[in-house]
Amino acid sequence: MREMGLRLDVFLLALTILWAPALSDLVLSKVDRRIDLTSQIARITSTLKVENAGSGLVSEVLLAFPESQAKHLAHLTATPNEGKGKVKGSGISYPVQLVHAKDMPPSLTFYSVSLPKELGEGDSFTFDVLAVFTHALKPFPEKITQADIQLLVFQDSAHYLSPYAVKVQTLSVKLPDARIESYTRIENTKNIGSEIKYGPYENLPPYSYSPIVVHFESNQPFAVAEELVREIEISHWGNIQVTEHYKLVHGGAQSKGEFSRLDYQARPHVRGASAIKRLVATLPPRAHSVYYRDEIGNVSTSNLWSDFKKTELEIEPRYPMFGGWRTAFTIGYGLPLHEFLFESDGKRFINISFGCPINEVVIDTLIVKVVLPEGSRDISVSAPFPLKQWQEKKFSHLDLFGRPVVALEKTNAVPEHNQKFQVYYKFNSLAMLWEPLMLIFGIFFLFVTGIVYMHVDMSISKSSASYLAKLQWDEVQAAIQQIRNIITRCLVIHDKVEASLRDLSRTGDIQACKAARKAADGLLKELSKEMKPLLAFLHSSQQAAHLLPKVEELVVKVKDLEERLMVKHSTIVDCYEKKYGGREIENRVASQVQKITALRQEVDDLLEFIDEI
Amino acid sequence: MAPKPIASPVAVTWYPTLAVVMLAIGLIFTASFFIYEATISRKSRSLAKELITGTVASVFLGFGSLFLLLASGVYV
Repeated sequence: MREMGLRLDVFLLALTILWAPALSDLVLSKVDRRIDLTSQIARITSTLKVENAGSGLVSEVLLAFPESQAKHLAHLTATPNEGKGKVKGSGISYPVQLVHAKDMPPSLTFYSVSLPKELGEGDSFTFDVLAVFTHALKPFPEKITQADIQLLVFQDSAHYLSPYAVKVQTLSVKLPDARIESYTRIENTKNIGSEIKYGPYENLPPYSYSPIVVHFESNQPFAVAEELVREIEISHWGNIQVTEHYKLVHGGAQSKGEFSRLDYQARPHVRGASAIKRLVATLPPRAHSVYYRDEIGNVSTSNLWSDFKKTELEIEPRYPMFGGWRTAFTIGYGLPLHEFLFESDGKRFINISFGCPINEVVIDTLIVKVVLPEGSRDISVSAPFPLKQWQEKKFSHLDLFGRPVVALEKTNAVPEHNQKFQVYYKFNSLAMLWEPLMLIFGIFFLFVTGIVYMHVDMSISKSSASYLAKLQWDEVQAAIQQIRNIITRCLVIHDKVEASLRDLSRTGDIQACKAARKAADGLLKELSKEMKPLLAFLHSSQQAAHLLPKVEELVVKVKDLEERLMVKHSTIVDCYEKKYGGREIENRVASQVQKITALRQEVDDLLEFIDEI
Repeated sequence: MAPKPIASPVAVTWYPTLAVVMLAIGLIFTASFFIYEATISRKSRSLAKELITGTVASVFLGFGSLFLLLASGVYV
């Protein structure tokens, strides 16, 4: 390792001589670098003070990374320097882009930062650069047993590698643990607790490089998701369903030898210090219906806490994960629609976090699929970093044509990519009615099938005796039902006549009572006319022979009832015209009333009998 | 224009109540439909009445089952 660093050094020294004069307008008057190695992700924050020593205007600053680092670079941002106070969240960042210049050393990768203002002669400007590297920490030794601690190696340069001359610079390396196996000692090296300090170094020429190697203990879990597929499904009925499929591997030192569950249970912090015991996912607030399962089924070792700022889900894999071990699981949760879906200028958009909710996980391939409701049009994506993008279709509940899916892919994702992104689309609110309409038509189809089945004559032999008998019986039934209907209407008219009598006793309006009687007479006449052909049919039909006496009895009773009612009516009206007293009237109609009540009872009994046919 | 949050047309908390009420009404109409089919003889049955009862029942059952799906967490 050291040999390789030395070779690179010699090579770069040669480059220094060749290319040094090319970019000498700018000078870095002060560089402070802080390397944070407390997790599996290496974060290098550099504070650069740039000074224009030349005469022309300069608006771009080049950042150089050796090839060994550039391939692990996951995230690079330049932000304004906020001093020691470090108020995060100003949200401003300067554009950074990859540049390929011909007159640059080919073994270096350059990024160019566009400054907010051009620097004139003698002007200076200070800004921060955050570079995040994944897989930059190598386990050494590469294989350990259950009882061993995990040691990691990190390589960088003590001198800031830059195409510009650097006047003053310092470097500090922050480690997770005070235990350091070894580190490169050069001039001005100090070790305070878990921090190693290099520098200050003064007046170094461009492309100076002094390799350092830090070998230290770290039992941080190396949770690496080889693939994470997040599916965000929007339902305009009030929910955003997020489903995340993880393929997780412990990316630290490989486990060798046997695994003893007994040892692990007895002393988990010694026998299995570097194992992944639990993962904590920070979900948005008001997340509901949270679940955690793998291919076998529900994994019940999980905990959930929630407050108004976040929902915390702690999950434990089925087994403690040692180096190189894998697991695959799924977590899912629902989010309230109105907190993530918005409308602006006739377009709807979802504004939701891109990355993985689990803390400090490196994701090799992150695929985010946004499933839009059926009928969405004009889909466009706005994301804070470049993504590979394609479209799919997904068939889910109650779909006809499939839902449009926007798939976004990012390789080498780190927690810094947990930024909001937006998917814009157009949607007509009426299209929401598709789902209930489909259900309604489905059920209506069943009813129509029932109606058709009851109406269609499905007998095979249309001339058999039993079939003909059935047809006749149907007709008899229909006739009896009609007669029954007519009688019901007659009884309703009787009730009206009675009601008119009650009105008469209350108001004394003889004319109105007479009019009601007249109307009732007309209606009853019509009804009896309607009844005649039906009775004639029953007479002619053989099937009705056994029912006929009952029906005829009913008809006669109803007729009798009608006559008596009319007699009662005439008597009462007559009495009113002659201005008899109430007692007198009651005496005159008493016998009729008795008979009417008895008849009514008999008619009701007969109707009940007919209903039971 | 500032972005305006979009909420569901019916408050999510109403879904269980709506499901129960609409399914109950729908089932009552279904019951009356089948009672009508079974009791009234073929000759005197009215197609219009059958279709109207069937339509009303399917509208209530359709919305009722949609709200039942939503209330049970199957967001369609």
